Amino acid sequence: MNCDELTRTIPLYLYSELSFDEEEQVERHLESCAACRAEVERNKVILKAFDRVEAPADDSLLAECRQELMRAIHHEAARKRTVAGSSKPSFWQSIVAFWISFGNIRVPVGIAAALVVGFLAGRIVFFGPRQAPPSEPLVSTIRSLEPDASGRVHIALDETRRRTVSGRLNDPGIQQLLLAAARDEVDPGIRFESLDILKDHAASSEVRSALVRALQQDPNPGVRLKALEGLKRFSGDESIRKSLVGVLQTDDNAGVRVQAIDLLMQQRDQSMVGVFQGLMRKENNNYVRMRVANALEEMNASAGVF
Amino acid sequence: MAPRLDEAGLIRAVQNGDHDAFEQLVRAYDQGVLRLALNLLRSPEDARDAYQEAFLRVFRSIHTFRFDCNFHTWLYRIVTNVCLDQLRKRKVWKEESPVVETEDGVMNRLENTEERSAHANPERALLSSELGARLQGALQGLTPRERMVFELRHYQGMRLRNIGEVLGTSEEAAKNCLFRATQKMRNSLGEFV
Repeated sequence: MNCDELTRTIPLYLYSELSFDEEEQVERHLESCAACRAEVERNKVILKAFDRVEAPADDSLLAECRQELMRAIHHEAARKRTVAGSSKPSFWQSIVAFWISFGNIRVPVGIAAALVVGFLAGRIVFFGPRQAPPSEPLVSTIRSLEPDASGRVHIALDETRRRTVSGRLNDPGIQQLLLAAARDEVDPGIRFESLDILKDHAASSEVRSALVRALQQDPNPGVRLKALEGLKRFSGDESIRKSLVGVLQTDDNAGVRVQAIDLLMQQRDQSMVGVFQGLMRKENNNYVRMRVANALEEMNASAGVF
Repeated sequence: MAPRLDEAGLIRAVQNGDHDAFEQLVRAYDQGVLRLALNLLRSPEDARDAYQEAFLRVFRSIHTFRFDCNFHTWLYRIVTNVCLDQLRKRKVWKEESPVVETEDGVMNRLENTEERSAHANPERALLSSELGARLQGALQGLTPRERMVFELRHYQGMRLRNIGEVLGTSEEAAKNCLFRATQKMRNSLGEFV
């Protein structure tokens, strides 16, 4: 190996990317060539120096990225469901789609939309589509700008405007809006409020699914507790019980776990003995352990570890 | 806590529409992905966009993943494509000129660096803050592909064979790319060591 050949292999040598034989050749050459040894040292110092300009890890940015991503994933799944429901979206579906996509708007230039659910007698009242005067608040995202030869500029933008929708709770449109609010709104207060309204309508399988979804996925424990409240009447349902067991095993909030135990105990079921005994082995919270032990005692089962 | 699924199990669960499994899969890899994006794009906003776009693409296409390659390789193919697109669009790889105009007139940054003598202590020379800017400049002097190969090898510790697979090229091409990258950096910084 001559000096030119060695120069080409220096980065591979320093990154340990050479085969055993190639590395042997390099080291034999270096033993007898001071100039190449110095060159290897220079390269080593340069590469080491690049460690200094590595972008530092940013935990808060990572947390934001994760949150935004999961929100986008849920939006996308919700959009797919909406599209799958009908090839031509209805007025209500359009509003729901708007509501879902609201969280994605990155450059708000106006104010947020609002939802008001009223219990007015009669039919749904809403303001139909109309041209917004320039003073009306808008929420927009500029998508593209294109000047033409005549001096005009073509601006493509997504635009939404505030609309107040009122209606009875049994109206499917209102219900869809509430379900969308329970699912996608960034504000946990809105999710809580919508679940609070929906919980009395958990006889509907769609509402029940929303409650289960909130119970399993909502990051806010207050919202999860509200979902549990809505599911209280259905604690005998097999799929709900399965979700409750999942909550017991995975939810990081002790209050939510305790509520889940209470719901499971509304209908005593011997198959829960194994679940509770398993929980005794891994539950760290003393209060939750006590509640599990009580539950086992009520079922005449041992709390001991087998 | 529920037992952690293995990677293949997680992927299958995601393919069956399990969003929680997707979140677990993301968490297994996303620190490295964000670090790569931050290093390459040098902007938290751009890195955030790249992170989002890459994982959304993963989510949209994971049903096409057939376990015929390593998931890490498949994921990084997507991530590197997103980052390369951003680098190409924004032309951030354009080399910084060593000559800059200042209020005091034209200045050559290479001539204004302390301890640039080859006889000076190389470690000390490289620790100067001005050299920090030169290091950044040297990185920006690389083409997007050279930059990517260097980032994946140097900062992510990926083997060149794997880098070739990720970038859809041979190990030999990745080696050549790394050589060109280090040569350029050597030329930019050689005078300091």
